[in-house]
Amino acid sequence: MTSLTTPANKSLTTTRRNFLKATSMGTGGLMMSIALPGCTTLKNGGISQAGNTEQWNSNAWLRIDSDNSIHFVLDRVEMGQGTYTGMTSLLAEELEVDPEKVQVSFAGVDSIYRNTIYGIQITGGSTSVASSWQIVREAGAATRIMLIKAAANTWNINEKDCIAENGRVINKASGHKNYDQQIPFGQLAAIAATYSVPSDIPLKDKADFKIIGKYNKRLDALKKATGTADYGIDTELPGMKYAVFTRAGRWDSQIKTFDASKIKNMPGIEQVFAVKTASAMGIAIVAKSYWQARKAQQQLTVKWHESELNNVDDASIFAQYKSDLAADSGKNVRSEGDFDDALENAIQTITAEFEMPFLAHSTLEPQNCVAWAKPDGLEIWAPTQSPDMAQVAAAKATDYALSDVKINTTFIGGGFGRRINQDFVAEAAAISEISQQPIKLIWSREEDTQRDWYRPSSYHKLSATIDKNGDISGWNHQMAGSGVFDYFVADAAPAQYPFMPKFMFGLLENAGKMGEGIIAPADGSIYEGAEAIPYDFANINVDYKKSDSGILVGNWRSVGYSHNGFITETFIDQLAQLPSIRAQKKDSYQFRYDLLKNHPRAQAVLKLAAEKANWGTPLAGCTQGISIHKSFGTWVAEVADVKIENNTIKVKRVVCAVDCGQVINPDMVIAQMEGGINFALTAALYGEITIKEGIPQQTNFHDYQLLRMNEAPQIDVHIIDSDEKPTGVGEPGVPPLAAAVANAISAKTGQRFYKLPLKLDA
Amino acid sequence: MIKLTVNGIEHSLDVEGDTPLLWVVRDYLDLKGSKFGCGAGLCGACTMHLNGNPIRTCITPVSAVAGQAITTIEGIGTPDSLSTVQQAWVEHNVPQCGYCQSGQIMSATALLATNSKPSDQDIDNAMSGNICRCGTYPRIKAAIHTAASNLSTTSNAKNELFTNIMEVK
Repeated sequence: MTSLTTPANKSLTTTRRNFLKATSMGTGGLMMSIALPGCTTLKNGGISQAGNTEQWNSNAWLRIDSDNSIHFVLDRVEMGQGTYTGMTSLLAEELEVDPEKVQVSFAGVDSIYRNTIYGIQITGGSTSVASSWQIVREAGAATRIMLIKAAANTWNINEKDCIAENGRVINKASGHKNYDQQIPFGQLAAIAATYSVPSDIPLKDKADFKIIGKYNKRLDALKKATGTADYGIDTELPGMKYAVFTRAGRWDSQIKTFDASKIKNMPGIEQVFAVKTASAMGIAIVAKSYWQARKAQQQLTVKWHESELNNVDDASIFAQYKSDLAADSGKNVRSEGDFDDALENAIQTITAEFEMPFLAHSTLEPQNCVAWAKPDGLEIWAPTQSPDMAQVAAAKATDYALSDVKINTTFIGGGFGRRINQDFVAEAAAISEISQQPIKLIWSREEDTQRDWYRPSSYHKLSATIDKNGDISGWNHQMAGSGVFDYFVADAAPAQYPFMPKFMFGLLENAGKMGEGIIAPADGSIYEGAEAIPYDFANINVDYKKSDSGILVGNWRSVGYSHNGFITETFIDQLAQLPSIRAQKKDSYQFRYDLLKNHPRAQAVLKLAAEKANWGTPLAGCTQGISIHKSFGTWVAEVADVKIENNTIKVKRVVCAVDCGQVINPDMVIAQMEGGINFALTAALYGEITIKEGIPQQTNFHDYQLLRMNEAPQIDVHIIDSDEKPTGVGEPGVPPLAAAVANAISAKTGQRFYKLPLKLDA
Repeated sequence: MIKLTVNGIEHSLDVEGDTPLLWVVRDYLDLKGSKFGCGAGLCGACTMHLNGNPIRTCITPVSAVAGQAITTIEGIGTPDSLSTVQQAWVEHNVPQCGYCQSGQIMSATALLATNSKPSDQDIDNAMSGNICRCGTYPRIKAAIHTAASNLSTTSNAKNELFTNIMEVK
């Protein structure tokens, strides 16, 4: 699931087919790995051997052992979005095995596991299936072909008379279900490993799929229903101690003095010391147990220097956004026709200003990390969305070389983009290095809420022009806010060049910042979704002015789409209510539908959502709102049935239609839409981090509320049947929701919403 | 020394009395299924049963429950021996990130132990103390209804809800 700006100029396809490599193992097994020609790996210290175009990596993807066990290294993390099941299903489909028989483990850091879209090893941007759709299937198919060949040679028959099925090869010539003539994969692995990988790897046609589009189980459900899935916070090491870390309210504050005299003799306390990382300075307390460390923290006093953020609050931040945008409209990210011309000829112009708040991720598993600084290396266990960025962060925070840092990943208790920033890894690494023992750092909920990398707040100014026919002739959207790229490039840039020495990291960070949009993907974290406004207007202008608030910001499930879905879809709804549009006998559904004439997939999604929601016939006591938004390649339309009870917003039902191309696991798509809708409803009803004197004001779930079961609507999800290549599902359910709810309220009361969370007029 | 009976097994522990039960169970007994979410009794990730009632163990000092019967997710069932509630959870593919689900299952089990045919309203009332950030609420509700319909109406129901508790002496 989660959250990165998708670079528009990167193709989803890969051409790694020729780099599959089979290796035999001493134990009689087969290993399929992937080699990148001329590439460097961490394992050899990043030295590219001259003349050697291939470096085989032993840490690869698929292994079949002689005992028939099948091992698959998952190179994308599992944080709820379903990669564990989805990626395994892709493999199992082509390999012809039961997905439940595949033993899945999480990948360490290696360049072979890089996300082909971003060039770093990251799980984000709803890209896992899209970026692996081809290569994982090819690995499975190539292996199957080689196993069949091994069986055919064993039986001395033609390969055409063999089929692979359920983890074995069957001699079809001897009669399909003749169990005398079958060999389990494990017994063929040693022979197959001696063959070279076929150059032609045909993949199954859709008609032949047994798993893709049909499989409806969730492979990690059993572990997660029994408390046996290991998350980062569950990591245990011999002799491990527990650490808590006291940070300043303002993230950039430096320590003036601290007094630990009251806690040094408290039970279990071992060490108290100051630590500085790239994004935090603070005091670490190391104790025998978590509670001892946490209790001692209350007796610690720290005095902080003032910082540049001392005078920063929401009012000053929005004043800055507005004045920066007024002075300079910034970068033009969409220009069609001539909006100024439309403005000149308009008979009416509608304008609106939107202010979007900072939002916390609130992963239910608080940030945590286990680090073990040993003489010969630093080992990390972390629930991270980007293992190679974690490696960079740990190396930067310590004296260890990048190649001496080993990252282990775990199940993740919610990511939503929070764990793309690696501050918790840097802290744990530094604390363990100073403490000289293995430590587990656990953040409190308060620390997690107040020291987040928030969805950036942003300011937006929209204008629409009406021409003499009463139609919308022009659309202008200008906006300002921090870009999130600046806040993770420090770890991301060196992760792309692991062979560079540490003293070059700063240079790489600066090169990354300067190369944003040139050598690095453009940072669309404020404007994405706005620049892609799909409606057929003759004159469109979209500008983005970067205006940095100084507050830490990051990727938040659906990133820029999260606010632009709301802004564009409430503003379009407002336009649909104009007398000139009403005079054309178009409601807010038909208005959208007609303007989407260049996007047939969007029209189909909008229509399906409206039909399934009985658009025009709300549930008892409700009004309806509709919204559609495309993100991460996926169209999602949502219709909300909303009631107002005791001046409170009650969302009774959300009907969702989604087109994400070829579906791998239909139930997983439904689950991600359900989850995205409830995640977005939390933001729509409650989400707001406020800043006072540079300090985030919310602390825990009493003042940063999350949706609870009694507030959760009925959700109906409908999937468009499609043969198009798969696109994201983890995030696209989020962007349309707030607008659908707001539009439903507007239909009832006439109130329009220009801020979130939604607050009813008194 | 503090005595605790967890999943039917008695333990004597040398631990400070104000330590929350959650950390005692996780770090002294090494039962990691119960989770830390908020430390303030607001999210329910740490839910266990105290004498059959769901409690928030992140704010429950261990001294307050000394000598009493504690049940954790590990006492509800194991991958090889699922309780009726856990079976329903798997059947409905309830978990996403899964971090809250131990607590959800503890609350759901406590509900079904006292109300074998809960209405939607009963479920809302019993479950609204448990936050799921991934938003799996529709499936949790459906899974509770499924578990209720699968539960025996006989006295056997208790064994179906708790498959892994040692007989208390």
